[in-house]
Amino acid sequence: MSSELSFTQSEHMICTLANLIEKDKSYWVAIGGQPLMSVLLARRQHAPNVCYVVEDGTVSPQPTTASALIPPGASGGPYYRAIAWKDMNTMGFHCALGYYDYGILDCLEVDMYGNINSSFLGGEWEQPKRRFGGAGGANEIASMCWRTIIVAEQEKRRYRQRVQFITSPGYLDGSPQARERAGLPAGTGPYRVVSDKAIFGFDEESKRMKLLALTPWATVEDVLGEMEFEPLIAEPLGRVTPPTGEQLAILRTEIDPEGRIVGRGQWLSFTPEN
Amino acid sequence: MEVLASGKGVYRAPDPDGHREWVRTHKSRELKSKVMSEREAIERFVSDGDYLGYDLCMVRRGPVALYREIIRQRKKNLWLAVRFSLLDPALFIAGGCISRIDIGWFSPGTTSRAMEQGKVKFTEWSNSAMVYRQLAGAMGLPFLPLRYLGGSDVFAHSGAKLVRDPFTGKEICLVPALNLDVALVHVYQCDEYGNARIFGPGLSPLETATCARKLILSTEEIISNEEIRRAPNLTTIPYYLVDAVVHLPFGSYPGSMPGLYGIDTEHIAEMTMADRSDSLEAYLEKWVYSVESHTDMLEKRVGARKLVELMKKETIKEGYHA
Repeated sequence: MSSELSFTQSEHMICTLANLIEKDKSYWVAIGGQPLMSVLLARRQHAPNVCYVVEDGTVSPQPTTASALIPPGASGGPYYRAIAWKDMNTMGFHCALGYYDYGILDCLEVDMYGNINSSFLGGEWEQPKRRFGGAGGANEIASMCWRTIIVAEQEKRRYRQRVQFITSPGYLDGSPQARERAGLPAGTGPYRVVSDKAIFGFDEESKRMKLLALTPWATVEDVLGEMEFEPLIAEPLGRVTPPTGEQLAILRTEIDPEGRIVGRGQWLSFTPEN
Repeated sequence: MEVLASGKGVYRAPDPDGHREWVRTHKSRELKSKVMSEREAIERFVSDGDYLGYDLCMVRRGPVALYREIIRQRKKNLWLAVRFSLLDPALFIAGGCISRIDIGWFSPGTTSRAMEQGKVKFTEWSNSAMVYRQLAGAMGLPFLPLRYLGGSDVFAHSGAKLVRDPFTGKEICLVPALNLDVALVHVYQCDEYGNARIFGPGLSPLETATCARKLILSTEEIISNEEIRRAPNLTTIPYYLVDAVVHLPFGSYPGSMPGLYGIDTEHIAEMTMADRSDSLEAYLEKWVYSVESHTDMLEKRVGARKLVELMKKETIKEGYHA
């Protein structure tokens, strides 16, 4: 007998990110949000001791909740049982030295070279139509972690030919050594883009985004229909594993019981085969 | 050194010798009490037009009571170093206190509307870049090289430069040092001279405190100098950096002080609604202008029952020595 699982786009993307997490690597993630939740989910499954840091200087805590900046419980909850309480500059030093393998970032827009915008939409820089919070810690994460994983819902307005503003660097204009010529550490850059319909990578030579895998509920046409540019397409295409009932239960009962992050986006459903 | 590219953002030119001269003539090395009221501290040490910074933010160990006093005294034309912030800049904007901000990060709302409407000028940076600029300022240097910002439009709208490194021959970004005119830091404990202790993840207390010409500490507790001397490893900030010590229990309210008290979530919700509905001025009337001081606000607007509730909520004590 099969039974249908229903989950939000956000839950699916958190589970997809969690499945990408490697147990002996280190992750720099923002406080709260999908990236942190994906690390906490991976810790409850295949990567119990995976290291993560956040920009305020918290090194690999075992937080009481992932819920975000305003926790429901003790204000020290997100920093509970950390290995160390350092500071923002120390995190920057360790990242510059190459100790942080992956950064996971969300964004407003991403382009074919993995450049991301989280600063403003519409208008001009001097007088933006819709202004957002700015680079935060994303620029340093995208610049200095060995690999960056980007999370962005599959929407035409998000997958842009060119982002309006490069808040955090991908492969810039895609030319050889573009990042190194901008003073960024060699051998770094975007690695994966995770959406609610697919997973993308980047072509080693051209640095262009490449469709690697599809979810069971999406076709190539569905994905291309929600992109302003045409990505390269891998042969053969892989399949994105949907969330499992166990993952969804952990997210809903342990990691984000108030549904602040997991509740976002449209509902999807999937019936696992027995 | 060959300059390959320059951001066009506005920044204050670094002046390490000017800062040294300020330290020589204005910073006392005398072991004397600096305890004063928040009114006196802000009157004496915050001037219109100052470049203002703070450590952490309004939900955690932020110097929020000192924000309120600056707003109450209606300071003008401040340049605010905004990084790792939520509604911190929004409060100052609603109070008419600031004309320019540096952007690491803030919560959109009043602040983004002010930017969209051209009411506040801004320069792009990132959270780490701002803290790193303060580190350069705290080291007495004019600039520091760093491995990020380059290639982005943040770089193009910052005050950073891309140069050829004379040692490796490779491209590297430089950022100008930031020496604040005045820094606000809320601490767990300090003595009357300003020897201060901070617990929990730090963000940038030492860089923020050290780079500033004037440093105002607010503290949850004043302890004896004898106690400081018994555990010198716990001292984050030595007294000679400090100009004023203000004893403000619950000084981070409505934010938290991990280990001591939690966030007043109802208050944060009220503030957030006011931010979204563009009515922070009415919020400030209730919480700032219509009360005389932090203590007056706690008595008239918050109440002992709420404060006890916030302390009870804080069930994690490990690691916070206070």
